[in-house]
Formats: sequence, structure tokens, C-alpha cells
Amino acid sequence: MSLRVLNPNAEVLNKSAALHMNINAAKGLQDVLKTNLGPKGTIKMLVGGAGDLKLTKDGNTLLKEMQIQNPTAIMIARTAVAQDDNSGDGTTSTVLFIGELMKQSERCIDEDILLAFRIIYSTHPRFLVDGFDVAKRATLEFLEKFKTAVVIGDEPDRDTLKMMARTTLRTKLYEGLADQLTDIVVNAVLCIRKPDEPIDLFMVEIMHMRHKFDVDTRLVEGLVLDHGSRHPDMKRRAENCYILTCNVSLEYEKSEINAGFFYSNAEQREKMVSAERRQVDERVMRIIELKNKVCAGGDKNFVVINQKGIDPPSLDLLARAGIIALRRAKRRNMERLVLACGGEAVNSVDDMTEDCLGWAGLVYEHTLGEEKYTFVENVKNPRSCTILIKGPNDHTIAQIKDAVRDGLRSVKNTIEDEAVVLGAGAFEVAAKKHLIDNVKKTVKGRAQLGVEAFAEALLVIPKTLAENSGLDTQDVIVSLQNEHDRGLVVGLNHHSGEPIDPQMEGIFDNYSVKRQIINSGPIIASQLLLVDEVIRAGRNMRKPT
Amino acid sequence: MREVVTVQVGGFANFVGSHFWNFQDELLGLADDPGADPVFRTAALDMDVLYRAGETHQGVATYCPRLVSVGSRGSLGSLSSSGTLGSRNVAAVDQPNIFTWQVMSGNVTRSVEKPHERNLFLQSLSEEEQNPSSSSHQNNAKKSAEDKDLVESLENGVKFWTDYSKVQYHPQSLYELHGSWTDFDKFNNYGTAREVVSEWSQMEEMNERLRFFIEECDHIQGIQFILDDSGGFSSVAAQYLESIADDYSNTPVLLYCVRDPVSHGSSRNQHETIIRSLHDAVSFSKLSSFCNLMVPIGPPSLSYLSPLLSIKDEKHFHSSAICAAAIHSLSVPFRLQHVGPSSDSVHSSGNLDIGELVHILSDQGRQNMVTALDVAMPAPSLTDRKDLRNIQRSLRSLTPEISDEDEDPYAVESLVFHGALDSGGQRASILQVKDTVCSALEGRARKPKFSHLSVSPCPLPIPLPFPSIFSSSIGQHGEILSTDHPEGTQPKGSLDVVSVPMAARLRSSNAIVPFIERRSASLQKLGMARGALGSQVLRDWGFGKEEVEDMGEHLAKMLRPFYPEMDLSSDSD
Ligand SMILES: Nc1ncnc2c1ncn2[C@@H]1O[C@H](COP(=O)(O)OP(=O)(O)O)[C@@H](O)[C@H]1O
Ligand SMILES: [Mg+2]
Repeated sequence: MSLRVLNPNAEVLNKSAALHMNINAAKGLQDVLKTNLGPKGTIKMLVGGAGDLKLTKDGNTLLKEMQIQNPTAIMIARTAVAQDDNSGDGTTSTVLFIGELMKQSERCIDEDILLAFRIIYSTHPRFLVDGFDVAKRATLEFLEKFKTAVVIGDEPDRDTLKMMARTTLRTKLYEGLADQLTDIVVNAVLCIRKPDEPIDLFMVEIMHMRHKFDVDTRLVEGLVLDHGSRHPDMKRRAENCYILTCNVSLEYEKSEINAGFFYSNAEQREKMVSAERRQVDERVMRIIELKNKVCAGGDKNFVVINQKGIDPPSLDLLARAGIIALRRAKRRNMERLVLACGGEAVNSVDDMTEDCLGWAGLVYEHTLGEEKYTFVENVKNPRSCTILIKGPNDHTIAQIKDAVRDGLRSVKNTIEDEAVVLGAGAFEVAAKKHLIDNVKKTVKGRAQLGVEAFAEALLVIPKTLAENSGLDTQDVIVSLQNEHDRGLVVGLNHHSGEPIDPQMEGIFDNYSVKRQIINSGPIIASQLLLVDEVIRAGRNMRKPT
Repeated sequence: MREVVTVQVGGFANFVGSHFWNFQDELLGLADDPGADPVFRTAALDMDVLYRAGETHQGVATYCPRLVSVGSRGSLGSLSSSGTLGSRNVAAVDQPNIFTWQVMSGNVTRSVEKPHERNLFLQSLSEEEQNPSSSSHQNNAKKSAEDKDLVESLENGVKFWTDYSKVQYHPQSLYELHGSWTDFDKFNNYGTAREVVSEWSQMEEMNERLRFFIEECDHIQGIQFILDDSGGFSSVAAQYLESIADDYSNTPVLLYCVRDPVSHGSSRNQHETIIRSLHDAVSFSKLSSFCNLMVPIGPPSLSYLSPLLSIKDEKHFHSSAICAAAIHSLSVPFRLQHVGPSSDSVHSSGNLDIGELVHILSDQGRQNMVTALDVAMPAPSLTDRKDLRNIQRSLRSLTPEISDEDEDPYAVESLVFHGALDSGGQRASILQVKDTVCSALEGRARKPKFSHLSVSPCPLPIPLPFPSIFSSSIGQHGEILSTDHPEGTQPKGSLDVVSVPMAARLRSSNAIVPFIERRSASLQKLGMARGALGSQVLRDWGFGKEEVEDMGEHLAKMLRPFYPEMDLSSDSD
């Protein structure tokens, strides 16, 4: 307070400097990401200092790769990445929207500075922010009306799910591959879905394999493990398999580490060893007994998949009994296996009964250099599955992996939202029109500017889509708005720039993603506008006066 | 043979690791080299313990460390994370692929980071790789002139740990942490890693890499974990160790916490001092609860460690070398042939696996799992009996903040002596070493309660990319030429010293008490007491009140074995 009395201008100038710094940072980040938006976005190829290569078209991936130092930019980036963490998509849109909100605000502020100099200026961002708030609520309400309901129930509307997945995948991969992955991601989500329960995408295992062609990526109804059996005599392929999923140590461990006992001579040591060994062998024998019981006289096989270790003597015993055994399975696969094959995971051989066993029609091993993969397939009623990604090199695999994740999220969102939103800019143009025609007039005074800025900022999405397709933004926006004025809900065709009906073309966005963008964009923008001072690197930038 | 899997986490840990693997690589080379000292063949350590045999996609056989190394992004310098040396331009190979994308889906923009220049040493390595014949027996004079240049270039220009690494790493081994906008230059306390640690997929990836190496082990004996615990990597490692303890509950973990002398630098203000103290306390408490034996390494200065060494504190390349040598020595018993405890072979004595070492040190005397490390580099020769205390005296502590007293009747120690020379400069026999060490022990005023000895004739080999840290009084085989050394002579390096005898010792005794006490007191005073100055810091790091109290309790518990008379029910100190 005393500061203001002593030097009224110092505060204003500092505020203004801080504000402009925020605006510039937001614009800067927007500039970097805007070429990424939509199916016509640019692929960014990042080559590291050691020649490492990364290809991406995804705003989220790119942001994480960037070395951002500016604290404002970091704040925006965090919001955008959080957007992806929460809803699985919309990173680029978030950054663009925040950037555009700041840009539009800047216009109002600069005009005002000319008009009324500092008296109005020092309080002005507040008005904008109030306007944002009104506009945000109105837009969210509008979204409720605008969204397209999707019938889920017991038999989800597969076509809509597919179109949703396809839209998402095509913004990340070339069309041919995107379209091939569409069925894979839809089927994967439908496989793991349980009615009336949230969808746990972790139950879709994503496994990758080096392979010449990316189009060989496929869905395995069952599980693919990235290891094989460790005994030369175990079968590499077996049909009609009982699956024992367990977390039981089948290796000899030196118990003195735990028991606090230390042998003093060789004989004692030998005794210890053989006692311990006997216990392990007993566990193995129990498993073999169960195998003999269930497989008696048939053409059935028995596969043990263990989270703990299995040492060579145990492997020997198991191999001799005709059992295939895998050790050190990853923890999450215990859960997935049971969902894929049935049965239940056992933690001790004492709990082990016939009912614990799962089933797979086919188990086989695939070797690639020193890498081994075990396929557990032809299962009944799988509730877990694997997407096996193939690609000729690491960066292709990484890119497909990212895209598959996005695709899975979009299908999950659609099912959980029971709605989608028309894409290709259709929603943004419609919402803008609604704000200008119906909402602006309900607000008094300067807050109207905020509503206007918000409405204008929404258009950054169709504008950027047009720009990335090499079209004239102005023309495209005018023709889209004309159609909307005539009551037709249209988006833009990214080839020609002509208005199209996204419903007809099957271009959809997730409802929850849109919702979150509209929600978080103005929150961050408001914080950046109402800034008092900028703290950078732990130091207060405000100069001593 | 029982496998050891190695994990390295953080900047300095990878510097140490780089030297450590260079030693191993050198041993592998010497065992195959008919021109080398035969001791490297006859008394060879079992390298399969640390290495794995495999094959590339092209079917080429490989032999690589069982290693997961975690560092910050960009810390690999000119080494690509797939482990291959240099940028054998991946981009060029994949051009057609990028082309497909371009045609099918639009534009490509490139952003190319400035490639890291490879130094002379790495250049010569890749030349050798490309045409091995030309380099092996080329003109000797030319070769030695070149080597001189290489050594000099390393002395002056090591920036990354990869700059002096001659090892081929497995593609699963090197993992770069992507801390989205975490500034790794300011990664200097426990709290700075929150963003990195909270990113689930990174921890998952680290776990998967480790599982890859552990799954293929038939009889894993343990994990040796080298951590730079001076900053945020402590928190990364704590998380990592916690999941290791969950997933491999019966596999012992031997944790080396290494710090470079520079990281001790003085704090600028009170706030920084508080943060440092709390960092030390929190890291120690967390890390010690997820490992079986802990060895803090890294005194504030190494330059006065021994008159026989000349280590420049400010050079990571230097300070990491001695830590690596000590860790190498400690790993020798894990790789000796197993013979019954009573019988002895000519080639080794005192095989010990990680579990047994843990047991000896932490369960035998006091229930204490924090040990001090002492090293003699080079170890003195076995002279006549008058100089028995030589060995004792030459051992220098690499563990900071310990007391000098050596009086604990409950002390337990494990000593490794390898490559010992006798007074004539010849390789001493196992028996000679044992005799000497035993009588030295007898001569000590206070004997430890238990002392284990492991002996191997195989000395520490000095590879070409080893820093020049030996004083001029060290001979070619690490023998001490004279105790008075002329002023102003140049330190010696790998061109003059071929191998050195080494002794290293782990001690579990009350010498470590000040180390633990300081951490316990910091947490009490700065984090737990009413109105403590650092309680906000701990909250910022994400610790609730209860968790802080648990850490405090854990630290207090670690002190109890040293005060058996202390009434357990009273909490006062
Ligand atoms: N075929 C298409 N034609 C026009 N616009 C599309 C098409 N497919 C997607 N879009 C639009 O692209 C935007 C999403 O682009 P994307 O690159 O995925 O960015 P974000 O990271 O924000 O999800 C959405 O506004 C969506 O409506
Ligand atoms: Mg998207």
C-alpha cells in the first residue's frame, strides 16, 4: 500500500511488464504447437545430440520433449499435460485456447491503454476475467445441448465408437495405419469393459516388437508376455492349456539373511541348503500333482506363470513333468492373466485347487534374437487383451504406441461420457455464435469485452485447422459462420476448406475433453491476467523502489 | 556362479559406474591377451557374475553388463540411449520411413539438436571398432604418441560419463529420465524430483528394465545399487528401491551412496543449509529402509586422501575413479570361486556373496546396516613383520562424517585384498596375504568381534581412459617406489601404471554413529520440533506430519544398537 502512495506508477509498470510477459509466453507456446493441430498437422522430427530420433505429431509428447524455461510457459504446459493425463486428449487445443484468450485480452488492454491510460488499465483485466467466467458457464451449458448422445447400454453403438477412434488416430498417424488401428482399439476396449464399472485401460497390455511393417500391428485376445520359458526341454507350443497364475517362490534362497542364522562349518551349511531345497521341491511337487490330476489321460497341457523366480532344479522337475513354466512375470500381468484366462492368482501352493486354474487354447513362444515372447491365446471370454505393436524402429513404435493410447482413451471416454461432440471446428463456431447472439447482451458493461474475447478465442481451433491445411483462414471462417447463421451446423473439410457436416463425415471429439478444455483454459488465462508480479527462479522480479 | 545385477542412478553414480565397467572391460581384455600378465588369466574373476551373454537382432553375439543406468535426459553426451556408440546416423537410415509419413500425412519439420562432439578417445574407439586390424599392431611409437594425446584430452575435457567409457552397453541398460521441465541443473534436493517420480510410466519403465535383467538370472545373489544421493535422484532411487523390495523381496540390495566432493560446497544462506540438512536426513531415512546394507561414500575432499594419490576434487573424472576402484574391490569376493570354508585354493580365498556379506556385517555384531568404507589404493606390499600395521594405516576412509575411533569391541568387518605384492615386488601368494593380515589383526589393540578376509591375486587393472591420479612414487605395478617424492613431478596415469594392488574394507562399528546421529538430529530439530524451521520445506516435498514422524522414528531406531543401555521406552536423548 505504501508503495502505491510513494510511487503510483511503479506498481502499474511492473504489473504491465508482468502481464505482457505472460501474454508473450502464452503466444510463444501457441506458436510452437499450432502447427500440430488436426489431421493436417506437421510431424515434428526431433534429433537429439547423440542422434536419437523422435517423431511426433502429438502436442502432449512434444511439450514433454521441449526444454521450457519460462515459468509462465511451464504453467501453461502443465495445464495442457494435465489435460491429457485426465482425459487423454486435447493438449494442443488447450495451449491454443489459452494463447488465444491471452491474445484477445491483449487487444482489449492495449486499446484501453490508448483510450484511458492507467486509471482504467490498472483494474481492467478484472473485467475481462469476469466476462470469461460468464462465457465459460454459458459455453458449458451450450455444450450440454450441443453434444450428440451415444447409446451405450449392453451393446454399445460400435459405429460411433469407431468413428471417434478413427478421428483421434488420424490426427496422429497416416490414414492407412490409423484406419487399421481403429478396429483394434475399439475391440480392445470392448473386450475389457465390464458393464457398470469404470474401464481400466491397464487391462489392455501394450506390447511392442521390432518388425518390418507397422501394418502388422494387431490385437491379441489374450496376453503376450515379453519372456519365455527358461528350460531347453519345455515345449515351445502347446494347445489346450491349463494356466496356473501364481506368486510363489520356486527358487532356493538363503534363508539366513532373514533368519539371522549363520553356519559355522561346511556340514551345517550343507544341511541348511538341503533343508531349504526340500521345501522348494515340495512346492514344485504340489504343482506337478495338480497337473497330473487335471491333465490325466487327456491331450491337455499345463502352463505355470509365476511372478517370483524359478531356479534351474525346479525348472528341471517341471520340464520332466511336461509343464511349461515362466518366471518373473510382471506384477500387472498377474491380474491381466486372470482376466484373460480365468481362474485366480495363488500366493501359496496351499491355496491351490483346480478352480484356480485358467484356460488358454494355445500357448506358444516366439523368438526374435535374444528376445522371447509368449503368446497366450484362444482364451474363453477374455476380459484382458494385448495390442501388439510392430514397427521397424524405436521411433515408429513409440509413435504408434502414443497414438494407440490416445485411441483407447477416446473410446473409453465415449463409453463413459455416453456422448460425443461434432468436430472439425463445428462446435467452436456454434458456441461462438451462441455467445455473441445470446450471452453477450445478458452481461453489463465492460465484462462484455470478456465474453467477446472468449467467443473470439474459441475460433482459434477452426482457424488453425484451416491454416494447417494451407487454406485462407479468413475465407474459411466466413463461410463456416455463414452456414451457421443459416442454421446449419458445419465444420471444415481439411482438404478443401469447404463446409462439411461432421456427423456425415464421422468427425467427432470427446465430450469430456472439450469440457475440460473450456474449463481449464479460462482458469489459467485469468490467473495470468490478474498477475501482480512475476516470480522467476525463486527471485522476485519486482525491482526495489 | 550367482549373478549380480547392477543399478546406477544419478549423475555421479554414472561417473563411478563408467570407471567400474571400464575396469571390468579391461579384465575381459587382459584375460584374452596372451601378452598380458598371466595373473589375469589364471586368477580371473568370474565375469559372468556381472555380465550377460546375448545376441543382437542380427544374430551377433554380445557380452554386456547386467546393468540398468538411470540418468537425466541429456546426460549421455554422444552415446545414444540404445547403447551404441556415436550417431551412426539413425536419421539417415530411416529416411525412407520418414518419407512415407511425409507423403501420406503432410509436412515434417525437423528440430535437430547440436550433435555432441566426440572427443579424441571416443573417436579412436570407433575407429578401432570399424577396422580392428589396423589399430592392434600398428607402429608402436605412433600408437603411444596417440595414446598420450588421448589421455591428455580426457584429463582436460570430460563432460559426460560417456566421454571415457569404452564399454558396449545393452540396449535395455541406459535410461534417461524425462522430467518434463524439471531443471536437472537444479535437481539438488529430495523435493525437486516430485514431478519425475509422480510420472508413473517412468517408474514402470525403470522396473521393466530391471526385470529384463533379473528374469534371466538363474540364481541372483543380489543387486548392487550405486546412487548419487546428493539431490533429487535420492527420491527417484527411494521409489525404485521400494518397488525392488516389493518385487524381489528375497534379493539383497547393497546400496552405495556416492557423492562427489563438489556437492558438499558451502551453502549460501540459512535456508539452503536447512534444505541440505533435511535432504540428507530424509534421503538417509528413506533409502536405508529399502536396502539391506548401505555404504555412504564421498568425503568433502579427496585431494588429501593419501600422499600416494593426487585427486582433483573439482573433476568428476578424478573423484569417481577412486570410488569405482573401491567398489570394484568390494565386488571381488562376489566373483571368486566357491570353495568350502576350510579348504583354500591357490587362486582365491574368501568367496562371499552379497547375502552373506550383508549377513556378516549387519547381523553379527550390532544390528547395524550402515557401514563405513576404507580403501588402500594402492595397497602396501607385504613387508616384513615389523611393518604389520602398514595395512591398517594405509586404509583411508571414503565415508564422510565418521569418528576416528577404532575401539568398538562389537565391530564387524570384511576386508578384501587383491593383487598384493610381496616385499620383492612379486605377486604374493594367498597364504602369505592371509598370514600377514591375520598377524596384523592380532597386533591390533582392540580387535573387532569378527573379521572376514577375501583374497585374490588379481590386481586392479588400469585401463587407458583412467585419470592421472597416481603420485610419481607409484611404480608400474602399483608398487610404492619411495615414500619421499620429489616436489613438482607430474602425476602418473594409465600410461605409466598398469595395475595396482588394492585393499578395501567395510566396517560396521560405532564409527558410523556421528553420521546417523547428525541426520537424526537434523530431522528432529528442523522438521519435527514445535515451530521447526524446516517443517514447511518437508510439506513442500510432499511429506505429511505422520510420515515425518515415521522417518524420525526410523532414524532413532537405527541408533539404538549403539546404545544398548538406553532405555527403549524413553524417547529423550
Ligand atoms: N478429419 C478432420 N477434419 C477436420 N478437423 C478434424 C479432423 N479430425 C480431427 N479434427 C479436429 O482436430 C482437433 C484435434 O486435433 P489434435 O491434433 O488431436 O489436437 P489435440 O491435442 O488438441 O487433441 C479437433 O478440434 C478435431 O475436431
Ligand atoms: Mg487429439
